[in-house]
Amino acid sequence: MVHSQLPWWIGGPLLGLCVVAMRWLMNERLGVMGAWSDVVDTVAARRLSFGPFGWMLFGLIAGAAAFALIAGGPDFHGYGWLTGTFSGTGGTILIVAILLACGVLIGLGTKIAGGCTSGNGLSGNAMASPASLVATLTFFATGIVVTVLTEALIR
Amino acid sequence: MSTRVAGALIGVVFGVVLSWSGMTSPEVIREGLLFEDAYLFLFFGGAVTTAFAGLWILRRRAPRALLTGERVEWETVSPERRHVAGSVLFGIGWGVSGACPGPIATQLGQGIAWGIPTTVGLVLGIVLFRRLQARAPAEPAASVIPSPMAADATA
Repeated sequence: MVHSQLPWWIGGPLLGLCVVAMRWLMNERLGVMGAWSDVVDTVAARRLSFGPFGWMLFGLIAGAAAFALIAGGPDFHGYGWLTGTFSGTGGTILIVAILLACGVLIGLGTKIAGGCTSGNGLSGNAMASPASLVATLTFFATGIVVTVLTEALIR
Repeated sequence: MSTRVAGALIGVVFGVVLSWSGMTSPEVIREGLLFEDAYLFLFFGGAVTTAFAGLWILRRRAPRALLTGERVEWETVSPERRHVAGSVLFGIGWGVSGACPGPIATQLGQGIAWGIPTTVGLVLGIVLFRRLQARAPAEPAASVIPSPMAADATA
């Protein structure tokens, strides 16, 4: 792997500036879940006229693809604790099922909460929105508890 | 420049940063949530602080948005049950899979096949939410499913 991790004090502020740019250019709240929703809702309406959020999702995917091309491959191999714990054909099927279920929880949960790590965690907190602070504390606390529990199960 | 081009460009920057910072990797997220590595929290904190400072300046100056010409302003949202309930569901999916909506997109961009089941689940989650929303009672307080009129319903 030719690349190393970008220092947090460069990467973090760059991500924060994306939030500021979205607001200053078009008075919108940056949120990746909003971007996914724009694409899903537009396609569901049998149209292809994506808005700025849909195009943001395509940019996100293109940026990651460019990174992988320049870096000479993806950022990581395997899939963390899941491929470290489950192997073989049965293991692969199980991981696919787990990730599918996680995707549903992430999609439904962030829609109900009105934002994800970026929409609530990043933009909402920067907007000093109390609902986003509550959402952020909740998903961080839940994420930490679930991670510690799964770690205890596999050790 | 159109808002779509601007959205795409912001997406590219976001995607490169999420890739270069390692946020695409479930292991980096997991090490953060297990408090084995401070990077996740430093990165997130740096992003929120920068975005907060930038939006604070924008709010004080209240300029016209550079591309759309509308006044740059926003409303904050008060916490409701749905912000907690949705974020618990999201936190479970995040903790198990080590992925949230941004990194799911950058996994796809980097060509990581494990991102496909998570993406399918995410799309199903959005579709499921739209179904629930269509059936939600008119009284928004009676349900954790926000009405399409909610201030953060774009997420």
